[in-house]
Amino acid sequence: MARETAVALENVRKTYRIGEPVHALDGVSLAVPRGSYTAIMGPSGSGKSTLMNLVGCLDTPTAGEVVVGGRPVGALGDRERTRLRGTEVGFVFQTFNLMPRLNALENVALPQLFQGIDRAERRERARDLLERVGLGDRADHLPNELSGGQRQRVALARALVNDPAIVLADEPSGNLDTDTEADILDLFDEFHAAGTTMLVVTHERHVADRADRIVHLLDGKIERIEDLEGDDASGSAADPGRGTEPASDADADSETGSPSRHREADSE
Amino acid sequence: MNPLESLRLSWRSIRGHKLRSALTTLGIVIGIAAVIAFVTLGASLQAGIIGDISPDDRRNVYGWAADPDIEGGPLAGAQPVFTPDDLESVAAQPDVAAAYGYATIQTQAISNGNETVAQGNGLIATGPSYIRESRLAEGRQFERGEREAVVNPAAANQFEENVTLGDELTVTILGGERTTLEVVGITDTSEGQSPFEGFESSPRIYVPTDPYYAAQAAGLGIGGGSGGENETGTGDENGTGIGDARFLAIIIEADSAAQSDIDAARESASAYLESDRSDASELLGDDLEVTFRTSTELLQQLQDVLALLRNFIVGIAAISLLVGSIGIANIMLVSVTERTREIGIMKAVGAQNRDVLGLFLTEAVILGVIGAILGTGLGLLGGYLGAQYIDLPLVYPLEYVALAVGVGILVGILAGLYPAWRAARTDPIDALRYE
Ligand SMILES: Nc1ncnc2c1ncn2[C@@H]1O[C@H](COP(=O)(O)OP(=O)(O)O)[C@@H](O)[C@H]1O
Ligand SMILES: [Mg+2]
Repeated sequence: MARETAVALENVRKTYRIGEPVHALDGVSLAVPRGSYTAIMGPSGSGKSTLMNLVGCLDTPTAGEVVVGGRPVGALGDRERTRLRGTEVGFVFQTFNLMPRLNALENVALPQLFQGIDRAERRERARDLLERVGLGDRADHLPNELSGGQRQRVALARALVNDPAIVLADEPSGNLDTDTEADILDLFDEFHAAGTTMLVVTHERHVADRADRIVHLLDGKIERIEDLEGDDASGSAADPGRGTEPASDADADSETGSPSRHREADSE
Repeated sequence: MNPLESLRLSWRSIRGHKLRSALTTLGIVIGIAAVIAFVTLGASLQAGIIGDISPDDRRNVYGWAADPDIEGGPLAGAQPVFTPDDLESVAAQPDVAAAYGYATIQTQAISNGNETVAQGNGLIATGPSYIRESRLAEGRQFERGEREAVVNPAAANQFEENVTLGDELTVTILGGERTTLEVVGITDTSEGQSPFEGFESSPRIYVPTDPYYAAQAAGLGIGGGSGGENETGTGDENGTGIGDARFLAIIIEADSAAQSDIDAARESASAYLESDRSDASELLGDDLEVTFRTSTELLQQLQDVLALLRNFIVGIAAISLLVGSIGIANIMLVSVTERTREIGIMKAVGAQNRDVLGLFLTEAVILGVIGAILGTGLGLLGGYLGAQYIDLPLVYPLEYVALAVGVGILVGILAGLYPAWRAARTDPIDALRYE
């Protein structure tokens, strides 16, 4: 069964002109299949966040095309782009970016507010998602009453609330300790397994290893794409050597469950 | 996003900054309260004044001689120029039904039997028809040349034993001379019978000019008693005509209340008084001019003054509103800057520009409306207390209350427009990077 493309970039350039032009992205082409799990790695300043902003419909490319949900983002007007941003993508940020005066439930429900969905329905959906990220009992807590890991889980629930084609996470565990990071990444796996397309920026190998493939960026260009799907193809954790980089045992463990669950989701 | 949701979210952020929001609305509260209080007072004052004009004084025209440059109410700048002969001659003029003088006589005390009460400005010397029949609750008008008086209820009731018809009162004139009078009538109101007296309720005793005022002028040289607060002893006329009482004020009656009759009486009287035939003319000179006004006109004049005063105060209040709205705008701008990140988050999760605009505008309008409502409450209370204090019938100009709330909304919108527009235009990427 051929996978649909959730997001496609075609020869995308992004140039910032403040004094000397900076080519943050310099001819990037990438297709993100629906239901896939892609990690993006690269040194600081390599253009990872710029790429996420483009895919997240927060910004438009200087040249080339970014297609989200089948629509070219660069050609859309501000209003349409905003609508797409609200419905087709879900953002998870390193700094969580929750509304400080809204409680967990309201934060999760916020994107639906802007889609004009009524309150009762919003709350039900938000409660459901909070339940799924394990925060059913924290619905009326304000962000500053939650731990970092809990906040990120709220952010993840919010990212999912409008059933987006893709969830974008820009260094989602950068502000978390190792244990909470694992919790979040487990949730990513879980949602990925349930069919959500994941695009995760990280500079940590063990985070990237949870993905199907790793896109390595360098100076605004794709340096190489590392395919971890080999594990998937073999359907077994006993063959960790297929990727370009050898995965550790721990990483291999975490991989075991997800590809198979992934297939289930895919066949839905 | 629907308006109710905007309201909910905006209210949330207002409550998140209670003190700041309270201070912001304060400017609006003060502005609106000032407007409402003064408008209420003004309306009450007008109602109080209008309530005092009786239709039966519409035939009356009130006259005095003053420098035409002096502006003001009845008797402003008036000088005593009218002699009893003038009054008689004016009464004889065509179109004039009656003419009589008006003067207040400074008193010290009034006694009813053994009981004495202190009272200044207690006697009003004038013509019999000054107290119109319809104004009499009991008895009759006094007669010219008799030692008779009509008293008002306030004067009658100031003694332990109320004054009744036929009672004899002893009046101590300023200077100690005593005179007596018999009460022949009691009026139905303690408020002034004409614009000369002012509008407030106070004890008043009405007596004929002859003998009371004539005796005054002749005996004591105090002829300058007049409608209220002027000091005693300004007997300018002493040098000009010994024993010749000069009146500060004159009242003429037209044949009817029709404007044409009023105008005819007024013209006829002025023509005579300003001609060489009158005694007044020798004192009028170049500086003084005789002014004749009906009570409606005087009232209008007073209302104009009131309106001017009110507009002035409303103007000041409007400035305070302006300051209040600048306060709102300022706070909203601070708030937009402070919440840049929140705006970025909202836009990142799909808020349209108009959603953000709506939120901030709603917030400004809520502040404006709260300010307007509190200001209206405070203003009404202020108006109520003021009206109580100066004893006026309370009139709430409801249209102004509606207007105040409207102004609150408008001020909110105007003050919130630019900050909200700035918020709406915030670039989400920049905003999310903002610390
Ligand atoms: N708004 C901007 N204005 C100017 N230059 C920018 C802007 N955003 C990013 N850049 C530049 O683009 C390059 C890529 O940035 P970024 O995508 O944030 O990198 P990364 O997320 O991989 O660290 C960097 O050189 C950065 O300085
Ligand atoms: Mg980055």
